[in-house]
Amino acid sequence: MTTRTLAVLSAGLSTPSSTRLLADRLTAATVKALRQRGDDATVEVVELREHARALADHLVTGFPSTALRGAIDTVVGADGLIAVTPVFSASYSGLFKTFIDVLDPDALTGRPTLLGATAGSARHSLVLEHAMRPLFAYLRAVPVPTAVFAAAEDWGDGDGGALAPRIQRAAGELADLVAGRPATARPSDPFADFVPFDQLLGDQA
Amino acid sequence: MQFGIFTVSDITTDPTTGRTPSEAERIQAVVAIAKKAEEVGLDVFALGEHHNPPFFSSSPTTTLAYIAAQTSTLQLSTSTTLITTNDPVKIAEDYAMLQHLAGGRVDLMMGRGNTGPVYPWFGKDVRDGIPLAVENYALLRRLWDTEVVDWSGRYRTPLQGFTSTPRPLDGVPPFVWHGSIRSPQIAEQAAYYGDGYFANHIFWPEEHTQRMVEFYRGRFAHHGHGDADQAIVGLGGQVFMRKNSQDAVREFRPYFDNAPVYGHGPSLEDFSRETPLTVGSPQQVIERTLGFRDYVGDYQRQLFLLDHAGLPLKTVLEQLDLLGEEVVPVLRREFAALRPAHVPDAPTHTARVAARRSGAAAEELTVR
Repeated sequence: MTTRTLAVLSAGLSTPSSTRLLADRLTAATVKALRQRGDDATVEVVELREHARALADHLVTGFPSTALRGAIDTVVGADGLIAVTPVFSASYSGLFKTFIDVLDPDALTGRPTLLGATAGSARHSLVLEHAMRPLFAYLRAVPVPTAVFAAAEDWGDGDGGALAPRIQRAAGELADLVAGRPATARPSDPFADFVPFDQLLGDQA
Repeated sequence: MQFGIFTVSDITTDPTTGRTPSEAERIQAVVAIAKKAEEVGLDVFALGEHHNPPFFSSSPTTTLAYIAAQTSTLQLSTSTTLITTNDPVKIAEDYAMLQHLAGGRVDLMMGRGNTGPVYPWFGKDVRDGIPLAVENYALLRRLWDTEVVDWSGRYRTPLQGFTSTPRPLDGVPPFVWHGSIRSPQIAEQAAYYGDGYFANHIFWPEEHTQRMVEFYRGRFAHHGHGDADQAIVGLGGQVFMRKNSQDAVREFRPYFDNAPVYGHGPSLEDFSRETPLTVGSPQQVIERTLGFRDYVGDYQRQLFLLDHAGLPLKTVLEQLDLLGEEVVPVLRREFAALRPAHVPDAPTHTARVAARRSGAAAEELTVR
């Protein structure tokens, strides 16, 4: 049995937050789906609200605080990513985007990712396809085909509601990608991946 | 061990008075600061190179030559010399000339620069930063180390039968440091040549500096220049002092809060915790600076940033008095007592000329 790491990125601002609620549902379903595929999972949650000031500082200074560095390492080093944002002004929230902005452009390359979003009404649901999916395509991450949107009304649905089956399907898709992932697909270490200088010099040596 | 200051040459409005010095004032102020550095017993003055406002230092060798003429012991250096956009032929010529005029009191620190438009202004492509640093420096070494150079590369016109003049003083070119905030590839370059590595150490947490220096030391040994602890390391640092630490914090805070580089971001307290910035009494600066050795090992050069963010000349000169009178004598004594005999001291022209002579003598003996 292989133990996979799942990073959960939640950009909800209120406490309790429906964004975190959706993130937790997606996480629980993914852990279960991984177990069904014979893998164990450890989960690390990054609540972006806790890093709001550190993210602004990072934009200004160019380096992350120690706590933010830990959050970035968690997300960059995971086997799979669950990323959930509230919808603000027809897109992901500024806080969510700021976190993405401070990552190295290739930090999420090839990373299996489950996208989620929350809003007051279902009229915002295509934000997942029109904003979140292109963002992760730019990062060369691998978002699973099913992205999960939860409107306020979804939380009042019974077991027969539309949310639960979507969560199941999306979690299954993420588990398929994470479980099939070779163990070596880890983020690169610049101190291990440098080019020895004689090679860099080429025929000028 | 060498102690000194480095400056970026910014012209910044003093946030406490709203007054902006003129270029003429700032240029004269920097000369006064360099002379004061020697007067209070510091070893090194390093000047940045920039090609856009609000900086004035586009022509470091002119400024350094003027300072050289008015000082007698001060080692003159750069922070940094743009190895990417300057013609390496011009660097070879300008710094060899400066070396002669300054009687050997010259070294330089290579950097790639952090201003994107500088590349196109000088006909280069910012995406070629690392390859330019590699090729240009390889040519610079050839020009200094070899009398007659035949060369061709990707980024400048080829050279046939070219001799860079004047030749380096006593046949020993200026010592070179390589500065980099985040690229291990530049630390590898420094290690390959057995040159010095200078960690900026101002904008990033100590763990980052530790990793970069450790990497450089390991590669220095790998390339056969000596043991890892014999590699030549320099560190930046940033301080503001008053006898009473509360006075230092109160006086420096408006400059910190409005500083061009990190202002309007983290608090002074957060930044002091996350980076080597020390605002307080001379004793606090001594303790913090001695602590650098704990994570980079014994090192050869410590430069402080004192002159920036709109601080008035008078204040900077007072900082130099405190540094020279109360801080550096203690650091000099403490670091020297801790440094094992096999760890080299900071490179100087005199020492390098002597080493070259004894090296040549040893070679002659072997041949016989």
